[in-house]
Amino acid sequence: MNHVSLLGICCNWSPYACYNAAGMARLKMPPNFRLVRVMCIGRINQALILRAFEYGADGVILLECKDEDCRYGPGPEVGHQNVQRVRRLLRLLGIGQKRLVERSFATHEKEEFVRALWEFSELIQTMGPNPAKPRQELEVS
Amino acid sequence: MKENGQELDRIIREHSLYQCLECGKCSASCPRQLAGKEYSPRLLAHKLIAEREDEAFIESSVWECLTCGLCGERCPSGVNFSRLIMDMRVLLAGTKGLKGYRSHDGALHSWMRIMTSPDLQQERLGWVHAGIRVATYGPVAFFTGCAPYFDIFFAGINVDTLSIARDSVRLLNFLGITPVLLSNERCCGHDLLWTGDRENFETLCRLNYEEFKDAGIKEVVVSCPECFYILSEFMPEIIPTFDIKVTLLIELLEQEFRKGGMAFRPFKHKVTYQDPCRLGRVCGRYDPPRNLLSMIPEMKFREMENSGRSAICCGNNAFINCDSYSKRIQVQRLREARATDADMLITACPKCMIHLTCTMRDPLRRDSLAMEIKDLVSVLADQIEWTGK
Ligand code: SF4
Ligand code: SF4
Repeated sequence: MNHVSLLGICCNWSPYACYNAAGMARLKMPPNFRLVRVMCIGRINQALILRAFEYGADGVILLECKDEDCRYGPGPEVGHQNVQRVRRLLRLLGIGQKRLVERSFATHEKEEFVRALWEFSELIQTMGPNPAKPRQELEVS
Repeated sequence: MKENGQELDRIIREHSLYQCLECGKCSASCPRQLAGKEYSPRLLAHKLIAEREDEAFIESSVWECLTCGLCGERCPSGVNFSRLIMDMRVLLAGTKGLKGYRSHDGALHSWMRIMTSPDLQQERLGWVHAGIRVATYGPVAFFTGCAPYFDIFFAGINVDTLSIARDSVRLLNFLGITPVLLSNERCCGHDLLWTGDRENFETLCRLNYEEFKDAGIKEVVVSCPECFYILSEFMPEIIPTFDIKVTLLIELLEQEFRKGGMAFRPFKHKVTYQDPCRLGRVCGRYDPPRNLLSMIPEMKFREMENSGRSAICCGNNAFINCDSYSKRIQVQRLREARATDADMLITACPKCMIHLTCTMRDPLRRDSLAMEIKDLVSVLADQIEWTGK
């Protein structure tokens, strides 16, 4: 099995509720998977997604609320736009568009949530490690 | 700064800072200071020489400079702040970490660092269309630079930097040259170097050199002033065996056009020209753009109040520290451009185009600043025709 690093960026509201509920129900999550919780996917910009790849992620999944459920307004739409742009950049870089995934959930969808993580993990497993990883020391800041 | 004492001495000596008279001409001409920013090159010079213990001051000042080189034109002692700052940033980045507020949260620096990956297989040539002739192997390459990336990243402000690459290739085709476009060309690394990341910068240089060699390249034609500066001055320094001729596109064009056999269709515009700092003050190319523009019939050219050696920076460099003071510089620059009565601003650097376009879109000032902006090579490519003479 390929060793791949997976990063999930998870909105605090519906998707995190799914994550919590999945944990309570002891549903099994994929290995090598790290989750970063943010207050809203609208907080995530193109730079932060790119930086995950710069720092060695093999795949990134944005876990969002449904468009109409956003607690702040346009969060998921901002997410869609950023994903679309970053995918085009990833394609130019040869990292490939598929390594960036976007999924949305309603609060009660814990099974869907876990299934999405497994699907994402299998997708990146089959793709293997991201070939375009900087080999050098990362910035110190 | 104690731990860096020797290195600091070397930097100071190399840039003749000990000759500083504290005359203050640098501060008096610095656009960043004139825009109101608490930053003074004169005081920085003083602190570096006499008050190194004021680390906080030195560290913050080093990241403030635009490296536009305007002060260097005026300094009676020949202090080159732009290069001094570059060396200081490399030094501080190595010991204290990269600083400087990165515009767009550092997205551009991220893709530049990702490009240091040796196994990169880019898909950067999707913009090549049937109307232009390009090759994958041959003696002459055209260096595209970051244009395909900017094109996506800055799509939101409607700036079309990719047309500069397309039009450059069109002009080369016009001259009978079918340039190689490298599918794995890397960023030239200018912005990494000027933000202190020398290590990754050097990796990019070496990877680009390998790409040139693999494609049989003997000469690289460059249109972006920053890429030209890096390829012609830094690559030979980093790669001792560097044996590739680096040609500035507009110089090649001027030289070829002077031979005759072509003409320009009339261009009924009043235009003015923004000297990019890397092209003008840094590489000394003030004349080629003006000479080329003067070949176009019916076009009226007016200089801005500050032009040539005194030209004012487009407000940002290396994508760090874009703030309200940058905006002030840009607003002033666009006001100067508008004051010439021109209907088009011509520039020769994709970054000038990006930064100035961004300011033109300021919703509160839009009407007072907006004007058409076009790169020099695009104007030339659109107007040129064979006369067959
Ligand atoms: S212009 Fe030159 S000599 Fe005068 S204060 Fe500045 S660095 Fe010193
Ligand atoms: S290079 Fe430009 S920004 Fe930096 S000190 Fe000189 S005039 Fe000011």
